[in-house]
Amino acid sequence: MRTRIPVYCAAITLLIAANGFAGNPTMTERLVKDIPLEVGGTLWIDNPVGSIDIVGGDTPNMVARVTKTTTGADAAALAEAREQTVISFEGDRNVRLIRTILPPTRPTRWTSTVSYTLRVPRTVHVRVASKIADRIRVANINGNVTVKTFNGMIVLDNVTGASIVDTTNGKVIYQYRQKPSSNAQIQAVNADIEVNVPADSNFNWIADTLRGDVTTNLSMRAEFQGSALKGTVNAPGGPMLAMQTLLGSIRLLGNGLDVQNARSLRADAEHVTERKTLMMQPARRIQLPIAGGAFDFFTSIGDVEVGEVHGPARVQTGAGEIRLGLVYGDCNVVSLGGPLDLGDIMGTLVASTQAGDVLVRAAREGGRASTAGGIIRVLYSGGPMILQSGGGDIVVRQAAGPINAETRSGDITITADPIQRTQKIQAHTLQGNILLNVGPRFAGDIDAVVMTSDPDSRAIYSDFTGLQIKKDQVGGKTRIHATGKLNGGGERLELFAEEGDIHISKVITNPVTVMSPK
Amino acid sequence: MSECDFMRENMPLLLTESLDPARRELTHQHIERCAACSDAWSGYRDTWRLMGDLPEVDVPAGVKARFLATIGEVQQPDRARVVAFRPRPALRWLAQAAGVLLIASGAFYAGHRGAPVQLKQTPATLNAVAAAPFSIAESRVLPANAISPNIEGRPDIQNVSFIDTNPNDPEIGLSFDITSHVTVTGRPTDKSMVRLLRYVLENEDHVSPSRSRAIDWVRATYSRPGNANSEIAGALANVLRNDSHEGVRIKAVETLNRMSSSVSADTREALIQALKSDPNPAVRIKAVEALANLARSGATLDAAAVDTLRQKAVQGDENVYVRVKAAEALSSIHP
Repeated sequence: MRTRIPVYCAAITLLIAANGFAGNPTMTERLVKDIPLEVGGTLWIDNPVGSIDIVGGDTPNMVARVTKTTTGADAAALAEAREQTVISFEGDRNVRLIRTILPPTRPTRWTSTVSYTLRVPRTVHVRVASKIADRIRVANINGNVTVKTFNGMIVLDNVTGASIVDTTNGKVIYQYRQKPSSNAQIQAVNADIEVNVPADSNFNWIADTLRGDVTTNLSMRAEFQGSALKGTVNAPGGPMLAMQTLLGSIRLLGNGLDVQNARSLRADAEHVTERKTLMMQPARRIQLPIAGGAFDFFTSIGDVEVGEVHGPARVQTGAGEIRLGLVYGDCNVVSLGGPLDLGDIMGTLVASTQAGDVLVRAAREGGRASTAGGIIRVLYSGGPMILQSGGGDIVVRQAAGPINAETRSGDITITADPIQRTQKIQAHTLQGNILLNVGPRFAGDIDAVVMTSDPDSRAIYSDFTGLQIKKDQVGGKTRIHATGKLNGGGERLELFAEEGDIHISKVITNPVTVMSPK
Repeated sequence: MSECDFMRENMPLLLTESLDPARRELTHQHIERCAACSDAWSGYRDTWRLMGDLPEVDVPAGVKARFLATIGEVQQPDRARVVAFRPRPALRWLAQAAGVLLIASGAFYAGHRGAPVQLKQTPATLNAVAAAPFSIAESRVLPANAISPNIEGRPDIQNVSFIDTNPNDPEIGLSFDITSHVTVTGRPTDKSMVRLLRYVLENEDHVSPSRSRAIDWVRATYSRPGNANSEIAGALANVLRNDSHEGVRIKAVETLNRMSSSVSADTREALIQALKSDPNPAVRIKAVEALANLARSGATLDAAAVDTLRQKAVQGDENVYVRVKAAEALSSIHP
């Protein structure tokens, strides 16, 4: 039931802030209102833009102080802003709802913010919904508290009931005056979380952050499970305090303890557990022009960029982009997600990512490059290479060594080094085309297969004559099989494409000169 | 009959360009392979060329008369009704001199009028824009006088059928499929060019060598600020939504990321859908990067987009890099 309660006790002060010299006229309206609310009741407040301050006390009912500030491009816009920014008091004494009602589409000619200061019985339950707030503060509440917002600082001060905080950006500060006695759950995306508890509190703690650090000055037993730290503070037992933020940091501090003693649990875990999992590593970003010798780097989240590595390189990141310019030794890079951009690799290359593109300018000794999804581009390969994509094109601009390329869905383009007279090439795509570019004198034994749903498809095109092409039906599809010898025969060229074409093209290209590093 | 005999029977037809494309190709291939037939083909061609070089000789009058009498086509002109034209040289010179005088005096008068020329003001009228002379269509009906009598090259014409819907009128019809190679030139922003590219992008993969390559070309052309086009972005959005080829989808979303200035609400929706449900992580990465770029550029993302980004950021089983990128995008958003 929605009941609009008439304003029965109000003091309205109109302050016209705009004057002749101001750019936009602004108006501030203030409202004070006493509203009945049971001590065990529930307060819902929905205020898209503006601060909210809710303070529990020992007096019955609720006192609401509301400040509405509207700014318009001109007097008409200001009037429209005042009219369309509606403050609504609804519900009954058990469940009270306070809403700021704004138009569904944001106007361009005016803005408005509404700030609430609410004094309520300390035993009520509080539900706060907001989008943008400078600050949301809930203090001295014994009931359950839920706060959901997008942006802004959230302060829970002396909240003893169960609490849930859900935010995207901003910061969350949770101040316990007494030992935690109820569960608390704080979930954020980019916000930092800081929780202050009495130093002798006992509770279970989960702190999960992907990129930020976890620090505390309390004694605890904990272990990392992936990116999440799970443990108990002081003695086992007590409520569960769960905090999760993707990119922010989490701090748990004891009241009265020295903040300087707060230590990074990730750094501790690194020493103790000897890199049990990659996600336990602290998130670090590194940017170096030159690494003088061997380069080993491991991080949970972070981009890695090194201009030159004068030795072998071993890099792992849980999520991030890896860019290495010149590597004098073997190169082993692993990303659980993120693109790989590799320059001139003098040794053997092993590069893999769970998501993202792979670019290799030169793999002089060949090696292996794989992605669970993304495009693989190799500009020059000097040795045997295995290239695998879970979905995406594979391009080898100049293959001076054998190539084995496989993609689940994507085109494969391989251009053989014009100096090579013959070399083994395998290309396999389950959905896509294969384009093989070779010089006019390139020799090889062709074994090309296309599986297609189109029985009239020609599917295999060759600039070389002498290929024998057969068609037959296999499992409801047409199989087109081409065999033959290029320039008298040589290494085997195995090409397989489903639902695509195979082009064997005769091209005259100039070889890329791969310079030796000085 | 041996293969060579068969091919040699085709040679006169090949000379007169009367063979269908398949037989023509077959015959050419045989001539390239078989030395004897190659010699025979050279002989045919030389003879044909010599015949073309021979002078045309008038048929003797007696032979012509006999031939016409034999086929019954002799028609004697009615000489009584013919008036012979007799040239008169003196009058010809006089007429030429009068013409020159008339042109000279007219030019002098036009160049020496004292009063300035007053153009009468007329109201502007907007006429219907004439239809472009060439349209790319699946099927069309053309009157014969709209077609040039010259047939250029050797277009491949197939499935020919003859139509005479009304025997009482003199009109007949000829219906056929024609394959001709068309090159359309113009600026990237020309509407015809945009529409054509949109059609090519959204339809089956007949692009040579592949649609991935075509999208690379589109990216190179339309990611330049002056060429940004919402129709092309819309076509790429459809590719992103519908194409089963993952390499093509990656290229499509990558291209959309470079065309953020021309991204419409529909295109944003395609990006959100890709981020939500595309099975390829590279597509999701590029979709979230595109949305982050939009957010950074100040574009307003609706609540659904923000929700999707937030869901992705906290989705435990999503690739961490995608989650991080979604979180970074959220940090740029001001709802």
